[in-house]
Amino acid sequence: MSEKREARRWFRRPYYGTGRRMSTRKQVFLWVVTVLLALWLIGPVLWIVDASFQLDNELFSVPPHWIPQNPTLQNYQYIITRVPPPAYAFEVGVQMGHKASGEALSAIPALKNSFIVSIATMVFCTAFSVLAAYAYSRLRFPGRNFTFGFIMLSRLIPPIAVAIPFFVIIDRLHLLDTHLALILVYLAFTLPFTIWFMTKYFDFMPPDLEDAALVDGCTRLQCLIKVVIPVVAPGIAATGAFAFMNAYSEFLFAVLLTKTMASKTVPVVLSAAAINFDVSYALASTAVVLAIIPPVLFALIFRRYITSGLSMAFGK
Amino acid sequence: MNRALAWPRNYSAATRRNVYAWLSILPALLIVVLFTVYPVLYNLDLALHKNVLTAPGQHPFTGVKNFVDLFKNPGLLRSFKVTAQFTLIIVVGNAVLGVLIALLLNEKFLGAKILQVLILIPWAIPVVMAGIIWRWMFVGNTGVINGLLYEFGLIEQYYSFLGNPVTAQIALIIARLWKDVPLAAILLLATLQVIPPELYDAAKIDGGGVWASFRFITFPFLRPTLTVLLILETMLGFVTFDLVYVMTGGGPADATTLVAWYTYVEIFTHLNLGRGAAMAFIIALLTLIMAGFYFWALRTEEVY
Repeated sequence: MSEKREARRWFRRPYYGTGRRMSTRKQVFLWVVTVLLALWLIGPVLWIVDASFQLDNELFSVPPHWIPQNPTLQNYQYIITRVPPPAYAFEVGVQMGHKASGEALSAIPALKNSFIVSIATMVFCTAFSVLAAYAYSRLRFPGRNFTFGFIMLSRLIPPIAVAIPFFVIIDRLHLLDTHLALILVYLAFTLPFTIWFMTKYFDFMPPDLEDAALVDGCTRLQCLIKVVIPVVAPGIAATGAFAFMNAYSEFLFAVLLTKTMASKTVPVVLSAAAINFDVSYALASTAVVLAIIPPVLFALIFRRYITSGLSMAFGK
Repeated sequence: MNRALAWPRNYSAATRRNVYAWLSILPALLIVVLFTVYPVLYNLDLALHKNVLTAPGQHPFTGVKNFVDLFKNPGLLRSFKVTAQFTLIIVVGNAVLGVLIALLLNEKFLGAKILQVLILIPWAIPVVMAGIIWRWMFVGNTGVINGLLYEFGLIEQYYSFLGNPVTAQIALIIARLWKDVPLAAILLLATLQVIPPELYDAAKIDGGGVWASFRFITFPFLRPTLTVLLILETMLGFVTFDLVYVMTGGGPADATTLVAWYTYVEIFTHLNLGRGAAMAFIIALLTLIMAGFYFWALRTEEVY
């Protein structure tokens, strides 16, 4: 019994390339590089989180306090409730300037706008690109190559190059300062990538499964919904994640097409705080932390799908 | 959609297939066409006329005057030089660091597993937020980088990194690479994982060293992915606008005025729509030329 288990473990041993265990020297080297790389990757994030638990007077100390001496939750309290906690009462408020705090304080309504826009973009983008990609992958029809090439090529136009016309289109549609305007623009910029991605994904799926369903008298659409979609669910999850992240982080058109808090998204509000010289660093850091939590969580939750989806599209 | 499904039986299967296919691609195609064809034509019209918002109502046809004016301006040439430098460094940096990190992530040890999770974090953080974080790390009064250098005794007093042309450029490049290298590494790792391990064993038996197996096995496999990354990163060089907006505002003294920022200033500060549109055309054209060049230079040779 135990011998059997031993043998099984031996077969499951990870592949080291050389067939031997890694040398100690190589292991030490790899771990040193790993620690340095990890610091590089998350150091900036750790610092901004650190800053969000301090107040401005502590943030400005020289040298900085790596571990806050007076850790506080008042920044979070202020941004979430919008009622000044003790540390932000009258005199501190005057010292910091109320206008400066105002931008960071719009973080919560901006997050709401960002969510509406990103989730709608994600839903429509996924639906449209799955439909289109399935047709591109499985069917030969007149105009197929031309329209596919056209959609792909459209992605090569730099956004700044179409800033003015986009503004004019949105203005003529009477959509300035609305969520819908941003959703439309983000769809136009995200669809080429997601269609390409899903087409490659479908290409990897052997058509045998659907052929059986087609023979049984399913239409293409029924076949897509009942047979294909369950199989390509990881790819669809990855597509959705990309669409969400793209919409959540877009900045140029968000600045251009929004005017008020009715539609301003997180990047717009935070960039205004960032270029303000007398901003409260503590409050703004807190707003940044709140703003990066959703996409980071999203990425970590969908990690498996994102990486397996990418392996499918780029592997081979 | 349902119309296609209820298509009368006497129509040929081919017609039904074509109708289904076109209905499937229609929503996506309509949106892309609306935001591609019209904007490009509109931009061309703008670029060929005089159109300055400070002098409304007068839009005489000026032909290529906007283009000529742009090239007469030393600011533009300087901006192209800055962009070329910036793009070259991030393209090379992205490819080299991406490959190195991907090779590390492909090692079979616990550290690689941890890094595969951590590496998603910079990728997930929106550019604007990444820019803000790095701006505050580099600023002169509270910056954490100043703090570190000070703690280690490398500087006597805090230094305003974003106030010096050279260090401001370096700061911008560091932020861009921090944000972009993770995606490069993830994509390259995905490519590395499909290389059959037997190839390396064969190389070993044939007496090939580490470099030889990289040069003749790993690199050919990575080449298509590297092409995609080169195009992606070159485009990012041309469109990097958000990072400049939050980190440097194009300064100090135009040191970080990339072409996208130059265009933005032309349109929204100088309110010269005609010249901005001309600039937009030049950027779009350059991007296309670059993409074409990469495809040509790195076309996948049939090696096996």
